[in-house]
Amino acid sequence: MEILKYACPQSKDEAFRLIREEHGTAIGGAAWLRTNTKTIALGVDLAGLGLEYVREVGDHIEIGAMTTYRELETNPLLRARFGALFETTVSHVVGVQLRNIITVGGTAAGRYGFSDLNTTLCALGAQVVFYPDQTMDLAQFIERGAKVPFLLEKVLLPATAKGTYHQMRISENDFPIINTTAVWTGSEWRIAVGSRPAATRLCPKAMALLGADLHPSDDILASAARAAADELQFGSDIRASAEYRREILPVLVRRALMEVRE
Amino acid sequence: MNITLRINGKQESIECLPGEMLTEVLRRAGHFEVKKGCDTGNCGACTVLVDGKPVLSCSYLAVRAEGKEITTIQGLADEAKKFAAFLTAEGADQCGFCAPGFALTVLAMKEEFSSIPDEAQIRHYLAGNLCRCSGYEGQIRAIKKYLEAQHAE
Ligand SMILES: Cc1cc2nc3c(=O)[nH]c(=O)nc-3n(C[C@H](O)[C@H](O)[C@H](O)COP(=O)(O)OP(=O)(O)OC[C@H]3O[C@@H](n4cnc5c(N)ncnc54)[C@H](O)[C@@H]3O)c2cc1C
Ligand code: FES
Ligand code: FES
Repeated sequence: MEILKYACPQSKDEAFRLIREEHGTAIGGAAWLRTNTKTIALGVDLAGLGLEYVREVGDHIEIGAMTTYRELETNPLLRARFGALFETTVSHVVGVQLRNIITVGGTAAGRYGFSDLNTTLCALGAQVVFYPDQTMDLAQFIERGAKVPFLLEKVLLPATAKGTYHQMRISENDFPIINTTAVWTGSEWRIAVGSRPAATRLCPKAMALLGADLHPSDDILASAARAAADELQFGSDIRASAEYRREILPVLVRRALMEVRE
Repeated sequence: MNITLRINGKQESIECLPGEMLTEVLRRAGHFEVKKGCDTGNCGACTVLVDGKPVLSCSYLAVRAEGKEITTIQGLADEAKKFAAFLTAEGADQCGFCAPGFALTVLAMKEEFSSIPDEAQIRHYLAGNLCRCSGYEGQIRAIKKYLEAQHAE
């Protein structure tokens, strides 16, 4: 990776200005950026902004953009509120050493098709906060992207939810070929599916079938799982065909729903 | 630009380019014990500790290491030798290219866990360290025996 000019601003105002007005490239963990051979005219290192935190504010949890995957995996507040959901979501991403580097902000900003984490964040109904003052559903952002350069400051989550993550990989350190997270928010079900191989989408028809009952019957779970596969589009790539993904998904969705229901 | 790091307890001032990764900078400063394997963030050969945490130096921006404590395998040589004896005894070390990164990850795991991790935890913690020669079984045996011996000490 070549960076012609490097800045490490100490305030969000300055970082935002450099990104918006001087076309700076935000640098999160830099692990993904460095795989790119493109020359970066101005690199804006976000490490000086104090964006590494997981904290409870009012009725939600805030995760700073520079928080690493390893922090998500081991953080006691996330463990207390979401059980092992974050651990199981990120634990397949290469190894501890990479997870000590890669960030939540770089992941949400990248809107990667293969993402494990974005699937769980979308299922939880995460919102992304763009500095200075724009908040948007992550699922919507993933679908539409942004029209102007942005500084993603943090991710907001509900204070608690019950969810499980399921994925399938050809080999342990590879990207998933399909993944899903099912969440019971306390009043409704949410299902997100990623690695189709396109980016994460919610499954509104499947969610509606499950209704507002934490204990739907086995038949309802099976129809919701099938509905998720029917309402989404899948593609083929070197890892799997669209048909294979469509067949596998209902199995994973049903497992995820059954685990949450228990 | 110039960055100042503490490498294995010694302060060093090193020239680096803004986009350079820590592996390059450490090797340029003579730390050839930091191995360059895949250089894409997948194999774990380049592992070093930054302020005690294991990171892939090939994917860690060198400028971010300014003012930080970097530990390579040389910095933990005595501990690494103890562990290496277990690897040898289990026939788990062959070409040895993965060994510096592998041993540093094991030592970081030992620090992170308050009790001896079980096999699943060991496999999970070491998932980012690939070895093209050994097939992992001997390494797992060596780690278990090493951790048990350390615990008994
Ligand atoms: C070897 C390797 C294997 C991987 N395997 C997996 C896997 O199996 N599953 C998986 O889900 N993911 C995987 N990933 C991706 C990883 O989980 C991260 O999503 C990815 O590395 C981006 O995070 P980062 O911190 O490295 O971001 P960076 O590389 O710093 O940035 C990525 C992009 O986001 C922008 N950006 C970063 N932070 C911000 C911000 N706060 N505001 C605005 N823009 C920002 C950057 O400008 C850049 O365009 C892998 C990554 C690597 C390097
Ligand atoms: S050289 Fe860094 S992970 Fe392979
Ligand atoms: S011993 Fe050769 S790569 Fe591990």
